Amino acid sequence: MKLIDALEVLKRSVVDDAPESKVHLACSFTPLHLQTFLAAQLRIRRPRHRAVINTGLFGDLAGSIERLDPSGIHALVVVVEWEDLDARLGVRTLGGWRPSSLPDIADSAEQAAARLRRVILKVSRFVLTVVCMPTLPLPPLFWTPPDRAASLELHLHQIVGTIAASLSEQPGVCIANAQFLGEISPPSQRLDLKSDVIAGFPYTLQHASALAGLLSGLIDNQPLKKGLITDLDDTLWSGILGEDGVSGISWHLERQTHMHGLYQQFVASLAGAGVLVGVASKNDPALVEQVFHRSDLFITKNDIFPFEVHWSRKSESVRRILDTWNVGADSVVFVDDSPMEVAEVKTALPELECVVFPKNDYQGVWDLLKELRGFFGKPLLTEDDSLRLGSIRNASPWRDSMQSAASSADDFLRTADASIAFSLTRESGDARAFELVNKTNQFNINGKRLSESEWRNFFKDPAAFLLVVSYKDKYGPLGKIAVVMGKSTERKIHVHMWVMSCRAFSRRVEHQCLRYLFEDLGADEIVFDYQPTSRNGPLQEFFAALMEGPPAEKVGLSRELFSKNAPPLFHRITKAVHV
Amino acid sequence: MSEIQDRLIRCFSSVFPALTPEEIRAASAQSLAVWNSLAAVTLMAVVEQEFNVHIDLLDLPELDSFEAFQTYLRRPTRASGADRNQ
Repeated sequence: MKLIDALEVLKRSVVDDAPESKVHLACSFTPLHLQTFLAAQLRIRRPRHRAVINTGLFGDLAGSIERLDPSGIHALVVVVEWEDLDARLGVRTLGGWRPSSLPDIADSAEQAAARLRRVILKVSRFVLTVVCMPTLPLPPLFWTPPDRAASLELHLHQIVGTIAASLSEQPGVCIANAQFLGEISPPSQRLDLKSDVIAGFPYTLQHASALAGLLSGLIDNQPLKKGLITDLDDTLWSGILGEDGVSGISWHLERQTHMHGLYQQFVASLAGAGVLVGVASKNDPALVEQVFHRSDLFITKNDIFPFEVHWSRKSESVRRILDTWNVGADSVVFVDDSPMEVAEVKTALPELECVVFPKNDYQGVWDLLKELRGFFGKPLLTEDDSLRLGSIRNASPWRDSMQSAASSADDFLRTADASIAFSLTRESGDARAFELVNKTNQFNINGKRLSESEWRNFFKDPAAFLLVVSYKDKYGPLGKIAVVMGKSTERKIHVHMWVMSCRAFSRRVEHQCLRYLFEDLGADEIVFDYQPTSRNGPLQEFFAALMEGPPAEKVGLSRELFSKNAPPLFHRITKAVHV
Repeated sequence: MSEIQDRLIRCFSSVFPALTPEEIRAASAQSLAVWNSLAAVTLMAVVEQEFNVHIDLLDLPELDSFEAFQTYLRRPTRASGADRNQ
C-alpha cells in the first residue's frame, strides 16, 4: 500500500456511533508513517470500527510500556528495534563503536532485553500484546568483514530469539513472524537512513506498509477454516490407483513424486492439530483400503473421516462430508488435482474454498502448503483438538437418536452415561473457549466474532463471567463444547455470547447450561443478545421451542418458562468455580 | 490543469483532507496552521512515493507551498516519473 492510499483510507468517514478500537503503538522511534499504515490496515479489516492508534513517549520503549494503563486498550503493539537494546545499536545516537565497547553493548542489550520481557509479560496479562522483534539490519559496528558473522552479532540475535521464544509461550502475547515478514519486506529494503536521521522514522515506506499489514493481521484475527477435503489420485499420491495399482502409486524421491509425500505429511499435521480431514475420490473403495494399509504412507486411516470413495459426482461427496461434520461450506477447503472437478464442486458449493493441487509443480505445492497453513493456522493447540475427529466418528448413534421419537430419545439419553463439567471463571485465558466463540455458527446466539483484544476486554468488567462446558459419555469425550459469556447483576443475567459446538447437538447440553445459570448463578431472568443469522437456525429452533414462539432480539427467558418447557435431563454434573 | 498538478493536489488532499482543490492550490506553510513539521514530513514522503523522486535535503526548506512543490517537480532535472506524465 502506498502512503497516499493509506491516507485516503483514513479519510473515509465512519458512522458516529462506530465502536472504537484503541490500539497502543509502543516504539522508541517516531511512529509517523507506521502509525498511518497501521490505522489504515485496521480500517480496511474492520470498516465499521474506528481504529484509534495512540503512541507513547519516544525513546524509552520499556519505560513507556511500564507506564501504560492498559484499561480501555484493545491491543498493545510493541515494535522493538536494536537501539531499544542499546542506543549504540541505532544510528541517531553516537556512543562509540570501538571494539573495546562491544562487550559492554552486549551486556547492556542483555539487561534491556530482560527488562522488556518483564514489562511485556506484566502488561500482557491485561491486554493482547503483539510484539515485533528487530526488523532493521544491525549497523556496521563489528570488526569482522560484512560477510562474516561476528560473535557479538550472533549473540545479539540469540538474545532477541530467546526473549521472543519465551514470550510466545504466554497466552496474551503474539510474536510477529520474522520469516513471514522477510517474504513481504526484504531485509535490504527496510532501512531509510535519510528518514531516520531527519525525522527519526527509520523505515522505508514499503517496509512500514508491510509491517503494518502483518501487525494488523495479528491484532484482528480472522476466522479459521475447520476442515480439509482432499482428493487421492495425483493429489495425496502420484498416479491413478485404478490404472497403476496399489504398488504403482508413489510419493517418493526416487520416483520424482516426493511433493505428494510432503502433502501427505502436511495433511497429517493438520489432522494432528484438530483440523477435520475427509477424502472425496472417484475410486475403487477396496483398492483405497489397501493403500491405507501401506506402511510407508505418511497419513493414516485414523487421521481421515469420512472417506467418500465411489464414482458419483464430487460435489455429492463433498456435501455428504459437510453433513457428517455438520459444518458449513465456507469453513472448509477442497483440494483436487482436476480443474474440472474443482469447477464442478465450486459451482455446486460456491462458498467452499476450492484449490487445484498443482501436480508436477514443486514450487506450486510449496505455495499450496503455505496457503493451507494460512487457512488453518491457530495460535495454540488445545487438548480438545485431539478429540474432535474421534467424537465425529462416534456420533452416528446420536444422529440416529435425533431422528427418533421423543420417548426413545429420552431412553437413549438416559442410557448414554453422559456427564457435563461446568467451569466458571472471570478470566479470559481459556484458548479453546475463545476459539469456540469465533468458529461456531449454528448454535450461536448472534454470530458475532471477537478479536482477542475484545475478548480480553470483556472480562475487565467485574460483573463478567465465562462458563465453559465440557461433555463426555460412553461413546467418548467431546471436550469443551460450549461457552457462555455474560454479565451477572442482581438476579438477572445478560448473556452476550453463547455458542455450542455442533458435535454436542441433541444431547440437551444447552438445557443444562440454562439450568446452571438459573440455579447456580441465582438468576430469575436471562436476557440474550440474540440476533437471528442465516447460519444459526438450530439456535433459533431451540429458542422457539423453549420460549413458545419465535424470539425477538434481546429476548428474555424467565426461570418459570424454562422450568415449564425444559425436557428431562439425565447428565451427571460436576462444577468448578475459579473466581 | 496538468497531470502533475492533479496528482499533486491528490497528495496534498491526502495530507490536508479538509482543504478544497482551490485552497490546496493556494496552500503554503505560512497560510496553513495544519502545515506543521509532521505534515511536512508526511507530505514529502507522499510526494516522493507518488512521483518516484527523492527530495534532496537541501531543497526541503524551499518546499513550503503548493506552488513550490509544483515548480520543484517540473524542473527538468527531476526524476522522470514526474515529467513523463505532463
